[in-house]
Amino acid sequence: MEFAWSKEDQGFRKNLVAFLESELPDDWEEISREGPGSDAQAEFSLGFCAALAEHGWLTPHWPTEYGGNAATSWSHAVLGEELWSRGEPRGPQYMNVNWIGPTIMEHGSDEQKALHLPPISEGRVLWCQGFSEPEAGSDLVALRTSAIADGDDYIINGSKIWTSYANHADYCFLLVRSDPESSRHHGLSVILLPMDSEGIEIREIPSVVGKRYFHELFFTDVRVPRSCLLGEEGEGWKTVSYSLQYERVGAPRYARATVTLDRLAELARQKGLLDDPTVAEKLGRARAACEAARVLSYRVIDQRAHGLPPSPDTNVARIAGTRVDKLVGDLALELTGSSGLEAGTFANANFKLAMTAGVAVGATEVQLNLVASRMLGLPRE
Amino acid sequence: MDFELNPEQGALLDAAETLLRRSAGTARAEQLAALSDAGEQSADGYDHDLERVLNDAGFTGVALVDGMGPLEATLLTSAVARQAGCVSFGANAIVAAQLLGRTIDGPVALADTALPGPVRFAAQAVCLLVADGDQLRIIEPLATDLVDVDSNFGYPMATLPAELLAAGDIVEGVSAHRMRAWWQLAASAEAVGCMQAALSFTIEYLKNRRQFGRSIASFQAVQHRLANCAVMIESARWLCAETASRNAPGEAAAATATHTMEAATLLFDDTHQLSGAIGFTTEHALHHWTMRLQTLKLELGGAGAHARSLARLRWTDAED
Repeated sequence: MEFAWSKEDQGFRKNLVAFLESELPDDWEEISREGPGSDAQAEFSLGFCAALAEHGWLTPHWPTEYGGNAATSWSHAVLGEELWSRGEPRGPQYMNVNWIGPTIMEHGSDEQKALHLPPISEGRVLWCQGFSEPEAGSDLVALRTSAIADGDDYIINGSKIWTSYANHADYCFLLVRSDPESSRHHGLSVILLPMDSEGIEIREIPSVVGKRYFHELFFTDVRVPRSCLLGEEGEGWKTVSYSLQYERVGAPRYARATVTLDRLAELARQKGLLDDPTVAEKLGRARAACEAARVLSYRVIDQRAHGLPPSPDTNVARIAGTRVDKLVGDLALELTGSSGLEAGTFANANFKLAMTAGVAVGATEVQLNLVASRMLGLPRE
Repeated sequence: MDFELNPEQGALLDAAETLLRRSAGTARAEQLAALSDAGEQSADGYDHDLERVLNDAGFTGVALVDGMGPLEATLLTSAVARQAGCVSFGANAIVAAQLLGRTIDGPVALADTALPGPVRFAAQAVCLLVADGDQLRIIEPLATDLVDVDSNFGYPMATLPAELLAAGDIVEGVSAHRMRAWWQLAASAEAVGCMQAALSFTIEYLKNRRQFGRSIASFQAVQHRLANCAVMIESARWLCAETASRNAPGEAAAATATHTMEAATLLFDDTHQLSGAIGFTTEHALHHWTMRLQTLKLELGGAGAHARSLARLRWTDAED
């Protein structure tokens, strides 16, 4: 057991930080506050990710045969920390590189790998994720969107909801029911759906979080070739479980919370509040929560570095990451005062980010269920 | 970065746990309490026998062994606490070892002049380390006729008279801030052990306890609380290990203590709430760990004080 960064990882962080300082434009922070689903951020991500890719830093953790450098899980973590703490300039593409690409590597055909992995590793494609449905939220396996085999094609009907980035995406990582007689985890499949297919309708769902944050997708007789099926037909749950383990701890929320908190402390200092014991205590408690979430994320990265299978530590890290986002989001508004209610301000953006933290990517309660059953061995009945 | 125990650490923990199962544990804690209640002269609630065994086996001085350090002492401190060992292991193996470069042959007490009130092991200690503003003082040998206060919060504790707190020799070249940081770590490591044991014990009880025709542990309302406890313990545990391996920088130690003592509040409340009335009884072992958590939580002023010191270290003062 030892907790020091390796020289290589330290060197990587230094180079990456220097790159980010030169690459991110002066108005990047304003762009980032528009939210990850905004036109500005999606567009920005295409240029930024291409530049990142040129340095070999978009998919460093990927195997070399797929355009990566076979970098360690730890350098991947450095990348996540530095990018997320700057408002995630990869925009929606963090999904591509963190779990969509790796899932295609694991379950995809040679043809799919050749089609999808180069554009992902070169930073020139946007994806969205089609999991949730109106009747299948936390209970994802209640989903009903169908893909029925018809000759050499599948015909897709149904709808997906809460789909971030659908308005910009070139492809959708779509979970469907391919066996209409099946239920729950059985008979599911994953379709790598081109978003320019005929019969797809995208509607924005207006929300208090921000513009173009959520969408609904409607599929009416959308016909795609069988070559869009990822993995075996009917084995979609296995495929998605693999993805979810990557997704759930994906964003290092503590990294952004840490930076936000430092700025809040500076704000408190300017207001003469940093010596106020109540303010200092709140800042200190939030800082400790950041550290707690960080070390739990590191635990998961360490398991990956050791080649261990996914464990409930992923859920543990996720719960702590959510907690810290909430703490810091609330504190941002509290310390800023009512000026933080104005759209586009620093406090507002952080509060909005925190609002969805406990719901996105699987509600906290679902994560707690998984910790209860898989880590603590608590009985179901 | 590597969160797995290396073979030496694994062997060390295995050996310590074997010894602790034999020499400590809740049965031993109950035996000590019974002796103390019976007015046995030598029984002061402190486990002198366990301390001797830990010293003789080389565990107390582990941090001073080549190739080992405060991380190993921290892991052992949690292990001792899991087995409800009533000894000043953390104060000795972590705090004394790091500040003095040696361990003490007997109980060690830690005090801060700014924080009056009963001090753990003050009446038993042969060595007292006192944080006095920026200065660290040591009183050794310490011989007092202090009497423990009447308390059932898991440890013998006594109030140090003001003249004693003001006495002793200044330890040159070591600031009291370093002592507070190591102390924060030692208390946190001990709390982690108590929390781990309290949670495991509670989970086993709740799995077996049936009401409404089913195991209490199968209710989601119960499961979520237990899962939240596990999240807090896991983070506290890893923060302790990381802070120890980095030689307890002030900021890291304060963050560790803040988070650990917040966790302790949750653990105390939830394990007792979920255990129901049996959890308040002395026949149910839960109290051996939970009552101690309250004592540990109050050291150095508690979570609020740790948090304020963390804010000061991160955003106002440079690291000492």
